[in-house]
Amino acid sequence: MRTRRSVPVVAGAAGIALLAAACGTSGADTGGEAAASGDGEGGDVTLTVATFNEFGYEELIEEYMDANPGVTVEHKKAATSNEARDNMNTRLAAGSGLADIEAIEVDWLPELMQYSDKFVDLADPAVEGRWLDWKVEQATTPDGALIGYGTDIGPVSVCYRSDLFAAAGLPTDRAEVAALLEGDWDTYFEVGRQFAASSDVPWFDSAQATYQGMINQVANAYEESDGTPIPLAENAEVKDLYDQVVAAGVDDGLSAHLEQWSEDWVNAFQNDGFATMLCPGWMLGVIEGNAAGVEGWDIADVYPGGGGNWGGSFLTVPAQGEHPEEAKALAQWLTAPEQQLKAFEAKGTFPSQVEALESEELRGQTNEFFNDAPVGEILANRAEAVEVTPFKGPNYFAIHQTVSDAITRADVGSDDAASSWEKALAAFDELGLG
Amino acid sequence: MSAPSVPMIRQTAGRGAARAAARRRGTGGVNRRPGWVTYAVLTVVLLISAYPIYYAVLLASSDAATIAQNPVPSLIPGENLLANLRRVVESDIKFWPALVNSIIVSTVTALSVVVFATLAGYSFAKLRFRGRGPLLVFVVATMAVPTQLGIVPLFIVMSKLGWVGQLQAVIVPGMVTAFGVFWMTQYLQEALPYELIEAARVDGCSMIRTFWHVALPAARPAAAMLALFTFVGSWTNFFWPFVVLGAANPTLPVAIQLLQASYFKDYSLILAGVVASTLPLVLVFVVAGRHLVTGIMQGAVKG
Amino acid sequence: MATTAPARRLPAPPPADPGPRAPRATLRQRLARWDVRLSPYLYVAPFFLVFAVAGLFPIVYTAYVSVHDWHLIGGQGEFVGLQNFVDVLQQPRFRTALRNTFSIFLLSSVPQVAMAIALAAVLDANLRAKTFWRMGVLLPYVVAPVAVSLIFSKMFADQSGLINALLAGVGVEPIRWHSDVLASHVAIASMVNFRWTGYNTLIALAAMQAVPRELYEAAVIDGAGRLRQFFSITVPMLRPTIIFIVITSTIGGLQIFDEPRMFDQMGLGGADRQWMTLTMYLYELGWGAQKSFGRASAVAWLLFLIIVLIGLVNFALTRRIASSGGKGGQR
Repeated sequence: MRTRRSVPVVAGAAGIALLAAACGTSGADTGGEAAASGDGEGGDVTLTVATFNEFGYEELIEEYMDANPGVTVEHKKAATSNEARDNMNTRLAAGSGLADIEAIEVDWLPELMQYSDKFVDLADPAVEGRWLDWKVEQATTPDGALIGYGTDIGPVSVCYRSDLFAAAGLPTDRAEVAALLEGDWDTYFEVGRQFAASSDVPWFDSAQATYQGMINQVANAYEESDGTPIPLAENAEVKDLYDQVVAAGVDDGLSAHLEQWSEDWVNAFQNDGFATMLCPGWMLGVIEGNAAGVEGWDIADVYPGGGGNWGGSFLTVPAQGEHPEEAKALAQWLTAPEQQLKAFEAKGTFPSQVEALESEELRGQTNEFFNDAPVGEILANRAEAVEVTPFKGPNYFAIHQTVSDAITRADVGSDDAASSWEKALAAFDELGLG
Repeated sequence: MSAPSVPMIRQTAGRGAARAAARRRGTGGVNRRPGWVTYAVLTVVLLISAYPIYYAVLLASSDAATIAQNPVPSLIPGENLLANLRRVVESDIKFWPALVNSIIVSTVTALSVVVFATLAGYSFAKLRFRGRGPLLVFVVATMAVPTQLGIVPLFIVMSKLGWVGQLQAVIVPGMVTAFGVFWMTQYLQEALPYELIEAARVDGCSMIRTFWHVALPAARPAAAMLALFTFVGSWTNFFWPFVVLGAANPTLPVAIQLLQASYFKDYSLILAGVVASTLPLVLVFVVAGRHLVTGIMQGAVKG
Repeated sequence: MATTAPARRLPAPPPADPGPRAPRATLRQRLARWDVRLSPYLYVAPFFLVFAVAGLFPIVYTAYVSVHDWHLIGGQGEFVGLQNFVDVLQQPRFRTALRNTFSIFLLSSVPQVAMAIALAAVLDANLRAKTFWRMGVLLPYVVAPVAVSLIFSKMFADQSGLINALLAGVGVEPIRWHSDVLASHVAIASMVNFRWTGYNTLIALAAMQAVPRELYEAAVIDGAGRLRQFFSITVPMLRPTIIFIVITSTIGGLQIFDEPRMFDQMGLGGADRQWMTLTMYLYELGWGAQKSFGRASAVAWLLFLIIVLIGLVNFALTRRIASSGGKGGQR
């Protein structure tokens, strides 16, 4: 019943059967065929890897091809994860056209989990214990299939402008800043109010982005652990966070009223737009790029409320591919600790692999742009501080969008907090989950 | 035929051009040269239509930090244009293959639209066959079909054909357009006298030879215009190529938006991409645009 | 009718042909007859073939999907009749999208037509370097919508954009181009206007040049000024053209997608969906949170009906105007 009407096994068709009359797929099992062609000298295997943003795979892929002469790897990058997601859904819906390895982000992983039969089960004794437990949990279906290999995670810390701190009379040393911010979100906002008292610069970039950091600490943000959506109108925890962040950002004026990733947000890095921001590991590269030439960025080994994880991705192998075995092997290789360390070095994607987390190489890494901060050490500490694994069910993305929009309306737009929340409730009802 | 107003434009454009030619010889007070106000107004309009493009060039010749710090770019381009263009070309967005793809897709589409639309337009305008009227109404009606909406079904068709990621997936759906058929029908109705067709038939030409020797030459001005508009249209098309081709085998618009793919946005790089993808079209426009404009203006004179 | 086509219209048969029903037609003659009969269909066939694949199949399939419970990835569910249409019509966002679509559509087509005609009137003068000016106004047309969006969304940035910086220079408060409903519509409409005004100007100009000069000469003799001439002669004579421009921009305008989708990096039409158009709404239903391909298909059909409805209204208007006002211009 869940299967599509007729879309016949298009799996093998994509590459081979072009001009042939019908797409009467060579009924043979594609896996075997691929393996066979892999052996023959002329029968090279071509694998495609689809990612978005920066995974830091460019050199790794070269390396893999050098080590495996029979394999050609093509790398496709989408501009944003949103586009990657739309594109992937279209191709999943149509039943063909996906890459052999598709990268997915943790936030839209849950909705794909419902269609785990469209992905190859990647569970393998060879990779047991490779990742942090909660990372594996996220990609494991209720019946034990593993649909994605973890790439990076996003342990969050606080990045700050030490020059602006100094101008406002706050400490600038990263240890002192960590001590100053140690505590919960109230502390973070309270320090913000102190800062605002003697500075014109907003405390943080965006209320929505800050909320993102807060909600990532809630175990059951929008859904019960069995996947039942919590009616937004009854979700006191979310409403409290909403009130808290809007009060701090809008009423107390701590927010720069920017929408994350917008033109204004990008420009603000060059114009003293804000003094602090929450920064998951992968954000360091963003800051460095956007704030090129700006002095004063630093990173503190602290996070309001302890630890938090923001984002992180997985590599999946869609079942419609022609070479599932080879694709799995490549995905396994790309997500191995050694490779992830190289990716971290190249683009700052912080490893989710236990071995990589413990390595001296990682711990010893510093970042020149952030005043030579020991970012490896700091992020590893932040990763250890993560206590809660938020449950993200199939409707997480949808409900989160309604709340995010509400905060953006109150922060960047002209809506007041109450009416914006009403709209969120209406949008939630539109989802028709009740 | 109670078709909309294009026939009037077409049919009258020819006369207009003829008249304009007459005017140029200078008759009467209405045709005197306009004063400087007119030129001033036009200059302002031209500046407005050119500024956004120039703005792109300005940003493309700058660097990210300068752009972020100065909302109003200096009117004189910076020095980084070539360097930024080189970065675009050398980045991993596959610029050259994308350029080649765009050229192939646009050229093939433009040619085939012209051929098929002229064939169909000739048939609708000058030949008699059962169901002609209803079929033509149907063609016009199809212009209202919101094509963006059929993406998934269309994608299913393409994947059954095994065309996903291949240029024909973009070319084939655009090989003939309702607008083109309609356009050529209206044009040929006016521009091609029955006498010419009859003469060709009397000479013993087959239908297709008649088309080739009589209809096609008569259609040239409108065909040139249709070709250029189709070329531009398919060059600038984004959504469907994005979905069906993806980043692996992109056309230029698909490729340049990938410049935003990196973690941070370097607007000098992104706008250099805009410049690089627009430049070829501007060149085509400079070379062929004159013919295009005169094509629109001269309309049916050639008939 | 096809068999006994009037000779005046049909290409004449070869001279030696004894007649269409000749008992012993040569092979050549028979071929020629088939040629005459079949060719028209053959010539229009490519359009219908391509349309069948790229237009008809998708729209029919969409209709089928719209009466089912259908998940984008999960696929077909139960037959639900018109439930998807009911659901959509009840969603406040559908009305928001409808409002935005029409607002952006009006903001782009009305000024565009007005500017196109005014500009055409200016270009209609006996200018020096005509082609240069004409090419100049058409120039923006060659910039891809993706590029236009990239350029304009940079210029329209709320805090750091060129436009607001210039406004500040003349003492105007910054306009919230993204969060304000009307302002965002104006910004998006300006992208559309930028790209299409020149194109429509040239179409209007072509029609304008066709207005018989005698009319103007007569008006001059009657003592009418240039403005008077423009409103009493040019505009009425141009009505059919105006309506043509309106029809084409309606069809395109109601489906507008690229520009608003790329107006910010999220592509959802703003936190309050303040610039979400119907096509974006459809896309969000299908690909976004709900992933309801059934509802998305329902919107597709609603949009289709709206376009057809407006098309019919336009068509009726055209006929009326063409049969009354347009006459004088024709012959």
